[in-house]
Amino acid sequence: MASIVLKNVVIEFPVYGVQPLMRKALFMRLASFFSKHEGTQKRVVVRAINNFSLTLNHGDRVGLIGHNGAGKSTLLKVFAGIYAPSGGHIEIDGRVSPLFSTAPGLDMDDTGYENIYTCGLYLGMSRREIDAKLPEVAAFSELGDFLGLPVRTYSTGMLLRLGFTLATAIDPEILLLDEGLGAGDASFAERARKRVANLVRRSSILVLASHSDELIKNMCNRAILLEHGKLIADGVPDEVIAEYHARLAQQPHLTVTEDEPVI
Amino acid sequence: MTPQFDEAFRDIAGASNFPMWGRLGWQDVRRRYRRTSIGPFWTTLSLAIFVGILGLMWSNLWKVDPKQYLPYLTSGMLTWVLFSTMVTEGCTTLISAEALIKQLRISYTVLACATVWRNLVVFAHNLVIFVVVCLYAGLWPTWFTLFLIPGVVVLCANGVWIALLLGLVCARYRDIQQVVTSVLQVSMFVTPIFWSPAQLTGRAIILADFNPLYHYIEIVRDPLLGRPPSAMSWLVVILMTVIGWSITLFMFGRFRRRIPYWL
Repeated sequence: MASIVLKNVVIEFPVYGVQPLMRKALFMRLASFFSKHEGTQKRVVVRAINNFSLTLNHGDRVGLIGHNGAGKSTLLKVFAGIYAPSGGHIEIDGRVSPLFSTAPGLDMDDTGYENIYTCGLYLGMSRREIDAKLPEVAAFSELGDFLGLPVRTYSTGMLLRLGFTLATAIDPEILLLDEGLGAGDASFAERARKRVANLVRRSSILVLASHSDELIKNMCNRAILLEHGKLIADGVPDEVIAEYHARLAQQPHLTVTEDEPVI
Repeated sequence: MTPQFDEAFRDIAGASNFPMWGRLGWQDVRRRYRRTSIGPFWTTLSLAIFVGILGLMWSNLWKVDPKQYLPYLTSGMLTWVLFSTMVTEGCTTLISAEALIKQLRISYTVLACATVWRNLVVFAHNLVIFVVVCLYAGLWPTWFTLFLIPGVVVLCANGVWIALLLGLVCARYRDIQQVVTSVLQVSMFVTPIFWSPAQLTGRAIILADFNPLYHYIEIVRDPLLGRPPSAMSWLVVILMTVIGWSITLFMFGRFRRRIPYWL
């Protein structure tokens, strides 16, 4: 059974270039030797996730809600095991499939086929698994003979189709989706929506970060509201979304951007 | 402390993922072949010109037989190029993979192995020069030539820890890269590559005996020249391998989790 457990997780980003540089620190050390004036050195950090505790279990379809900069994407990257917490504990049980960009490691000079293998390996598939998926990927992306050509010859739409098909060809256990997984033209977008729904059905846990209330209500059975890296509400999507809008009404300076979602 | 080192070991176990780093490294080589007729052989060609001209000039200056000097210089230079590019590219192993590291959970060891593998493939290209020089000098392989295989393998095993350690340090302190480049530049002249340690007199012998770079070169150069392996060189290199990996394991275990924050 897949599960994710977070206990008092803190994520702090050090900001380099703001704190005194090595040469300045050295110089100050040297200066204080003569003048007895103690040079102070401060570490500049941004706290993105603050004291966060959460348990996700099999069957959870979680929507992350919050304004821009609330920590949604950072939290997804914590679930993906990319950012290790600077405080607290995290336990991830199960294979995590993060879909933050459609085609990690895409090489413009390689052919479509070569890219399918490269990206597939990055996404954690074995060669044999990729071989098995290949006909399906070729069919769904509608690229046909173009797969034998370098990717740089593709149109933007074709590139999007290839990336999207690849990214969604995985067999996920814990599926992490960041919004804005592009899918190209309208006819493809419709099929893409079905494909994502299918992908979600195959997964054990879904975490979806989105600005779209509609999407979260449709796909999730649980929603989490984030604000400045803190957990504000956790519950049924309808209630959490209502809470979010109530809070927004109190803070008019926070504007919501309604991105056009594909998934 | 322990879970961190657990993670570090799991990361290093990524070295067994040959399909992945094999493909990554190979992809880089392919990139060099792209739209050029001889690809990486351009490096080979410039190296050949360098070795050819300097070899003939110095053998004349020092009054040695070019048939003796050229194989020595070529084998030393080839090994040096392999080693030094592994080190300089090791510095950027993690920095250049920033996009991947921030999107996927990827084993850093796989990236280090890819760097080493890529340079090994280039080394294989460069070996052509040595073959030509041997034909000219009438040098034939002996049974000792078989030591080339363990020599190269051990050198590459060192390349991996160097790439990991330097990749880690350079990700945090970007200045180190410049320091490494400068040190390597001088080392090429200080290490017996252009000249033989037999030419050293008095205390200068420490440039060979106490110079680990010399021993790294020797374990590959000796078999190339068909000379019996030197016990001293193997001892030093094995010692360096153990010490290097120990330091890397310690640093890697301690700081591995910070890498995504540094990039």
